[in-house]
Amino acid sequence: MAAFIIRRLLVSAVLLFFISIISFFIITLTPGSPYPWGELNPKVSEEVKRVFREKFHLDRPLHEQYAFIMRDLFTGNLRSIKDERPVLEKIAERLPATLLLNIGALALSLSFGLMLGIYGARHAGRPPDVITSVIAFIFIALPGFWVSYLVAIALVDWAAVPILGTHTIGVAFTNGAQVFLDRWWHVMMPASILAIGGIAVQSRFVRASMIETLREDYIRTARAKGLDENAVFYRHALRNSIRPLITGIGMLLPALISGAVIIENIFAYPGMGRLGYEAVLERDYPTLVALNFVTAALVLVGNLIADMLYAVVDPRVRLE
Amino acid sequence: MITTAPAPIQTAPATPGGRAWRRFRRNKVGVAALVMVVILAIVALVFFVFDRLGIPFPMDPDATNLERKLLPPNPVNWLGTDNLGRDVLSRLLNGAYISLTVGFVAVFVSLFIGVVVGAVAGYFGKWVDNLIMRAVDALMCFPTFFLILTAVALLGPSIFNIIFVIGLVSWTGTARLVRAEFLTLRESSYVQAARALGQRGWKIIFRHILPNAAAPILVTAVLGVPEAILAEAGLSFLGFGVQPPQATWGNIIADGKTYILDAWWLILFPGLAILLAALSFYLTGDALRQAVETRSERQ
Amino acid sequence: MPRVRTLIIGVPLCLTAVTALALWTVSRISSDKKNEMYIGSIGEPTTLNPLQAADSAAGAVTGVIFNGLLKYNADLVIEGDLAESWTMRQRSTFFFANPEEAVQAAANMEAQLVDRAALHLGKYSVDGDKLVLELTLPGVADSQKLAAMFGVAPLAAKTLGITAPKPLGDALEDFAAENPAARVVRVWTNGNLGEIVFLGDPDTVRAGLQKFLVARVGDKGLVLDDIVAPPFLAEPEVDFRLRDGVRWHDGAPFTSRDVRFTYNALMDDRVASPRKSDYELVLSLATPDERTVRVVYRRPFSPALESWMMSIMPAHLLEDLAPDQWPMKFNRAPVGTGPFKFAEWKTNQFVRVVRNDDYFRGSPHLGGIVFRVLPDPLTLRLAFETRQIDFWGVDPWAVGSFRQDDRFTLFSAPSNSYNYIGWNLRKPMFQDLRVRQALAHAVNIGQMIRYVLYGYGVQSTGIFTPEMWFFNPDIRPLAYDPQKARTLLAEAGWKPGPDGILEKDGQRFSFTLITNNGNAIRSDIATLVQADLKAIGIEVNVEMYEWAVFIKNFVNKGEFDAVVLGWALGQGFDQFQIWHSSQTGPEQLNMVAYQNPEADRLLQAIREEFDRETIIELCGELQQLIYDDQPYMFLFVPEGTSVMWKNAFRVYRPGPGGKWIDEPVTMTKAGWSHYLEWFYRPEYPPQQEN
Repeated sequence: MAAFIIRRLLVSAVLLFFISIISFFIITLTPGSPYPWGELNPKVSEEVKRVFREKFHLDRPLHEQYAFIMRDLFTGNLRSIKDERPVLEKIAERLPATLLLNIGALALSLSFGLMLGIYGARHAGRPPDVITSVIAFIFIALPGFWVSYLVAIALVDWAAVPILGTHTIGVAFTNGAQVFLDRWWHVMMPASILAIGGIAVQSRFVRASMIETLREDYIRTARAKGLDENAVFYRHALRNSIRPLITGIGMLLPALISGAVIIENIFAYPGMGRLGYEAVLERDYPTLVALNFVTAALVLVGNLIADMLYAVVDPRVRLE
Repeated sequence: MITTAPAPIQTAPATPGGRAWRRFRRNKVGVAALVMVVILAIVALVFFVFDRLGIPFPMDPDATNLERKLLPPNPVNWLGTDNLGRDVLSRLLNGAYISLTVGFVAVFVSLFIGVVVGAVAGYFGKWVDNLIMRAVDALMCFPTFFLILTAVALLGPSIFNIIFVIGLVSWTGTARLVRAEFLTLRESSYVQAARALGQRGWKIIFRHILPNAAAPILVTAVLGVPEAILAEAGLSFLGFGVQPPQATWGNIIADGKTYILDAWWLILFPGLAILLAALSFYLTGDALRQAVETRSERQ
Repeated sequence: MPRVRTLIIGVPLCLTAVTALALWTVSRISSDKKNEMYIGSIGEPTTLNPLQAADSAAGAVTGVIFNGLLKYNADLVIEGDLAESWTMRQRSTFFFANPEEAVQAAANMEAQLVDRAALHLGKYSVDGDKLVLELTLPGVADSQKLAAMFGVAPLAAKTLGITAPKPLGDALEDFAAENPAARVVRVWTNGNLGEIVFLGDPDTVRAGLQKFLVARVGDKGLVLDDIVAPPFLAEPEVDFRLRDGVRWHDGAPFTSRDVRFTYNALMDDRVASPRKSDYELVLSLATPDERTVRVVYRRPFSPALESWMMSIMPAHLLEDLAPDQWPMKFNRAPVGTGPFKFAEWKTNQFVRVVRNDDYFRGSPHLGGIVFRVLPDPLTLRLAFETRQIDFWGVDPWAVGSFRQDDRFTLFSAPSNSYNYIGWNLRKPMFQDLRVRQALAHAVNIGQMIRYVLYGYGVQSTGIFTPEMWFFNPDIRPLAYDPQKARTLLAEAGWKPGPDGILEKDGQRFSFTLITNNGNAIRSDIATLVQADLKAIGIEVNVEMYEWAVFIKNFVNKGEFDAVVLGWALGQGFDQFQIWHSSQTGPEQLNMVAYQNPEADRLLQAIREEFDRETIIELCGELQQLIYDDQPYMFLFVPEGTSVMWKNAFRVYRPGPGGKWIDEPVTMTKAGWSHYLEWFYRPEYPPQQEN
């Protein structure tokens, strides 16, 4: 186990190195300059621009710029071009909100996915299964930004409920329960839109693997022995179906972080997706490189955890 | 690394295509979805031809008519008009071929890369496999959306570049699948036989292994189309997609989002179009997958 | 295994139930407002340090935290803020071949002087070979008139500007000392920049200086520029008398030391202030005592006074802190002198400021202001409709429906911005004035205003907008007249070709119109112009790019045919950077390469003029000249409209003569938010102070 984890970490380090190179070169090759003031600002003189370029090493060749960024990243001195704050501080600031949103979305995806998938498997081939299948595919096919807008407008127009940010602004909460429920609402609402696709994907995974497992010989044996159908279903078949669910977590993470870009923008949610999107638009090279680095690291850790869980629930899997 | 017990290899039926088709036809949802896909393809083709020939049908999608702007659906403009008085239905129909083209061509690009990379990794194994799969892992860790955004900003938002970029970031799944198929097929008796007869690597890959891996690849392809369509819509929505005034489903929504509270029809219909197209492809793909999955035959 | 089953159904159900409960709670609690104001903006402030910020989101926040020496009043007239008063004068120094000529010139002038006051002449004195005039109003024109009375020609002073690859240090002083023949009369150095004024032979001095500097700082990147400046030393001076008893939010007293620090920081390369260019003409800044600041300029620069609206920074907090430490400390938690104190900044969410009870004009009534960051335009509107923000800048198409709705109060005013299509005058196609006029006649701008702005705007008649005090109201806009357009094009040699597109010498009249994506108004303009020009036989291809790409690849390089853009102008009349022929290089703002010697002269004169009436006259002339030249197709000046929930706020403010005025929020020339510090919520009435 320890050897496995160490090897995985080493491989991850190499991966991260590649990721940093790719993200740096793509963003720096992109036209645009990272000046923090408007491009057409008549007050900014050539002299100021020159000073600025020197300050951020933008006058150096690309490979030197990359070296500077990596050196600064590892010594913790990497500064954003936009506001000159340490990049890691900027990312850390958004990390809790991002984790909360993604954990919310994951919880919804897994719990609803499991429920729907089991329901589908239970009625495999019959109308309830067909209906849940079609619903699942509708969920997958929904454009996220479109749904967000429709939901946002519906909630605001008909219910006049605040939906933006991490909490309702400007009201005096009277007790802790209100504060909790207010936060819950502001996380769960974007999370549930983010989770729509995940629910569907998970339910398909669970359904497929349940159906497959139910055909296994040992299940037939169990049934033949006259075991209660519920017991067969929930004790034997389900245990095997947890496996794809865990694989799913690993696959969901990057998708969630990407998908969050648009949703964080619409719901004014202060997460990492928005930071990345703004960094792309502003050509804030250091922030973008560091952000790709950190998200990739998160995903790698997520995958590692998924693999370890995998070994725990499935005795056939050994980590070696 | 993860090791699982290898799944038992099934022997292929005599005419796999024919059997799969028969199974597919039994799936009513699948057939309905396939019909939808065909209809969409015909619509896209017809309006593409109209556009090239300059036939404005039902109306010229780019003709502005300021006297008739932001009209709700009415007998003349069935789906209403946009902020410049352009007919939404015409723009929708005209945009169909862009969305579908992006879907198909991007999948083709990603299949091509995925199959080649996966085949090379799976066939040659050892360090080649290791190297390639680590690169694949690296790409999979990347939040693809940032990658697409930056790449499009770098290359410029032409339809060709968008297809290329979407294809470029979506081949990893195919590559993994093809590699897995290859790893198992490589050891199969007929490949061993071909190798014993002295055939060379590439020939074995294309003659013997690839045709046997065709079914899962086809399924991935069909399921990849809606992903590409949705990706293009998302890009257009953020202003990184195909540029206006050219209508695509994504940028009709992007243009319309400003008026969302005053003109619901500007985003409802194109959104439904995207949903319908993506759904048709997903259901077709799923039915196809069920049909080619030999395992279901055991019962 | 019923437990598992319960879990599988129970967890999703619980999640749903809690969320439903949360929805119910949130919908109930949102009505009770605190005594705060909520303002939304699309962008997040980059930094709350006014020395370094250039974005409007930061400006809104720092505007209530800091004060400048001066500010605009509600009618856009400059008044004192941290300065209680200020005086301006100028010292003009003329150089003569010998002391006798100087004495002679003074005598001749004295003899001819009829009206000293009209020429703003105060004292004058002869100092060796120099004649020094003290003028009560800065500017060049008066001095020139006085010089005409000398009878003896003074020596002409020439000015050279220097940009060096590294800091100049004492190089210029040393050059002056080593080369007495150059007769250097003044040097100025700031980092890599320098300036030298001399009386010697221009060619010899230039060559000598070049050689001297190459030896001192190297030749790579060394540039010597001839600077357009009066042939004598004209040094305007501004004296500020600072307000007494002002304290920083941390209790420290505000003194002239803070002003001096602010100036030094603006000029410091390590700060990289985007505002530096406003202060580059300062020769020296002195603080004779705690309440006096004396600024001397190298030459008349009339926009200079406005530059002292710049927020003054606390020296006691920043002086001992290296600028690279600011971003983590001060820039995220600023300390100012303004009506509100910084409280907290939640990144990507909001900045909160709270009332400063010790504000020198009296404590504001609001408990605080929250500036929310809402990154999507639609989000802003949704936030406004759920009363999460109190104000919203209404999009033109929604103004009508908001006007009819009596739940809202609207504030409308013409903006200080205009939209235009710039013709790249480097392209032969656009070099013929008749062609540019024809293009202007061919586009129906009235219709554009009606349908793109929904009527909320006026046709632009040039480089200034109607609300500016130096705007020229006598210019007639070019009328929509496609027939006249065709005639003008025919005169210029453009005849219809076989495909209906105009042709000249085998070249089709076809060009690419570019703009940035994500701006609905600009893309609508492009589409409409395309349609209008098609009607007279001109083919327009519209292309849109992401903003950064658009600027970097096309606009900055001057590589485009025509471009849809807009200028958001301040209150300033100086448009040197946008129109002067010296500003056509890469990354400079005269991207259409407009060149007209007469315009150059006017632009220079406007910068050197301090008299209000003369400025109006010169600006009027300039506006007419450029409108006649049509380097842009001047489209329209949009009207900006903000909306507020009815009776959300009132204003209770000190009026003239110390009386307090209680009034509804109203529009002033400086906008509805001019009295922001005196807003109050009717639920929380202010303590009446009369």
